[in-house]
Amino acid sequence: MNLLRLLFAVTLIASSAGVAAQAPSDAQIASIVVVANQVDIDAGHLAESRATDPDVKAFARQMITDHTGVNKQAVALVTKLKVVPADNPTSQSLKKGGEDNMKSLKLLKGAAFDRAYVDHEVAYHQQVLDAIDKTLIPSAQNAELKALLVAVRPAFVGHLEHAKQIQADLGKK
Amino acid sequence: MIARTFAMAADGLRRAARPRLVQSLVLASFVGMTVAAATPVTHTVVMKATSFAPLTVTLKLGDAVVWRNDDFFPHTATAPGVFDSKSIAVGASWKYRPKAVGEYAYICTFHPNMKGTLKVE
Repeated sequence: MNLLRLLFAVTLIASSAGVAAQAPSDAQIASIVVVANQVDIDAGHLAESRATDPDVKAFARQMITDHTGVNKQAVALVTKLKVVPADNPTSQSLKKGGEDNMKSLKLLKGAAFDRAYVDHEVAYHQQVLDAIDKTLIPSAQNAELKALLVAVRPAFVGHLEHAKQIQADLGKK
Repeated sequence: MIARTFAMAADGLRRAARPRLVQSLVLASFVGMTVAAATPVTHTVVMKATSFAPLTVTLKLGDAVVWRNDDFFPHTATAPGVFDSKSIAVGASWKYRPKAVGEYAYICTFHPNMKGTLKVE
C-alpha cells in the first residue's frame, strides 16, 4: 500500500514537472505578452501620479506609452492571426505579481515610493527579458508572432538600462 | 559634359582669335559642375525595433539627416550638447543639418541601448 502511494506521488510530481516544463502555445504566449505589458502600464499610471522625482515620473510616462504601443501591435497581430489569448500559469503569475506590487507601492510615498517603483521596474524588466529569451521566442510557432517578440525585445533591454540609470541616480540623491 | 567642355576648350585654343569667349565658357562649365556636385543630400535613418538603420551615416557638411520613426513607440536622436530631436512620435520624422565637420555619437534618451553615429566630412 505504501509502495503504491509512493508510486502515485512520484507520478504526480513527474507529471506536474512535465506541465511546468511544457512550452507555451502561441495563444498562451499572446496572453503572456498582453498581461506583461498591462502590468507595467498599470504600475506606470500609479507612478505617474505618485512619483516625486521628475525622471521617475518621465520614465513612468514612457512605460505607459511604450507598453501601450507594444500591446496595440500584439493585439493587432493576434486579431489578424485569429489567435485567442489563452490564460495560463505564467500569465496568471505575472498578473498576481503586478497586483502585489501595486498593493505594496500604494503604501509608500515620496522618495521611498520612487525607489520602490524603480527597483521593481529593474527586476520586472529583467524577469520579462528572461521569459522572452528562454521561453517566449524559442516557443513561438507563428513566424509573425516570433518576429514581433524579436522586434520588441531591444525595447525591454532599453527600459532595463534606463531604469538602472535612474536607480543609480536616485542612490546618489 | 566634360568631353564637350574639353572639346570646346581645345577648339577654343585652335581659334586663338576668340580666347576670351572660350575661357568664359570653360569657366562657366566648371562652375556649373562644382555647384552640381555640392547639391545637399538628405540621408534617412529609420528607427525600428529600437535601433537606428543604418547605424552609421557618413555625410558631407551641408547634407541633412532625417530620422523617421517606424517603431511602435517614440524615440529620440540625441547627441548631448550637439543636437536633440526630443520625442519623435510614431510615424513622425525629424530633420537635422550638422553645423560642423566631426564624428557624433548619438543615442535615444528613452532607450539608451539604441546608439548611432554621424560622420560629417
